[in-house]
Amino acid sequence: MQKRVWRFERVGWYVLVIIVLLALAGLFGDGPLSDAEVVSQDGRLKVEYQRLSRSGTTDNLFITIQGSPGQPVMVELEGPLLREASIETMQPEPLVSISHGPALRLQLGTSKGGMATLYLTLRSGHVGSLEGVVRSGSNTEVHFSTFLYP
Amino acid sequence: MDSILRAAGMYVALMLLFRVAGRRSLADLTTFDFVLLLIIGEATQQALLGEDFSFTNAVLVIATLIVVDVGLSLAKLNSRPLARFLDGHSTLVVEHGQFLHQRMRRSRLTEDDILESARDSQGIESVEQIKFAIVERNGKISIIPKE
Repeated sequence: MQKRVWRFERVGWYVLVIIVLLALAGLFGDGPLSDAEVVSQDGRLKVEYQRLSRSGTTDNLFITIQGSPGQPVMVELEGPLLREASIETMQPEPLVSISHGPALRLQLGTSKGGMATLYLTLRSGHVGSLEGVVRSGSNTEVHFSTFLYP
Repeated sequence: MDSILRAAGMYVALMLLFRVAGRRSLADLTTFDFVLLLIIGEATQQALLGEDFSFTNAVLVIATLIVVDVGLSLAKLNSRPLARFLDGHSTLVVEHGQFLHQRMRRSRLTEDDILESARDSQGIESVEQIKFAIVERNGKISIIPKE
């Protein structure tokens, strides 16, 4: 009986070590396993997001869009992720921010090379999977999803 | 990831701080020591959890602390110097009825502390009746009476 208890303790400790190592790798958010990016088919739009995160914490969303130089570029945020999560910060401030059906439409200034970037911090109390959609024009669209641990 | 690093870092920091604080048995805590411990716990909690109050984070922090704690105790089994460093060693403070004042000063113990312990554990009245008094690694004073 005592031997079984010892074995249980020892095996349990190894399991905990594995969990801690996986957490270091980012299985529970913030790490190489959890960092992800998607690029739209035409390559104009790139979103860097967290594949895995925890409920109630902040997540960074980093969006880059290739527009035409000097011209403002439109970007639309949509999906359950944007509905469930509150946007805590948005940098830089968009030139225009209006609603467009269920989506949030933002207009961003571009650099000389036509690049526009947007940093968002999101926080959600939701548990489970949430999908987000970022769109710029009719052909440029990316879908991504984040899983939130309790 | 950062919560794991925070928990492990806090474990090491607390261990060093409490090594500096020295040995003091839990039974001899004064009310003030106790309140101090509560405040230390409160301050630690803020640093460990940050702004993340999720269930997952709490479990990960606890798991990290247990892994480090059990890991160190396993390492201590294999390495005597490490065990000495982490736990210290016991100190003789009374030898054949004589107080060793130098050692008592270093251990921050007074004659009264030792006699109190002697009365409490062995019913001994004076220092002459003590063969050895030893400060154990957990801060407790063990008394071995003369035959």
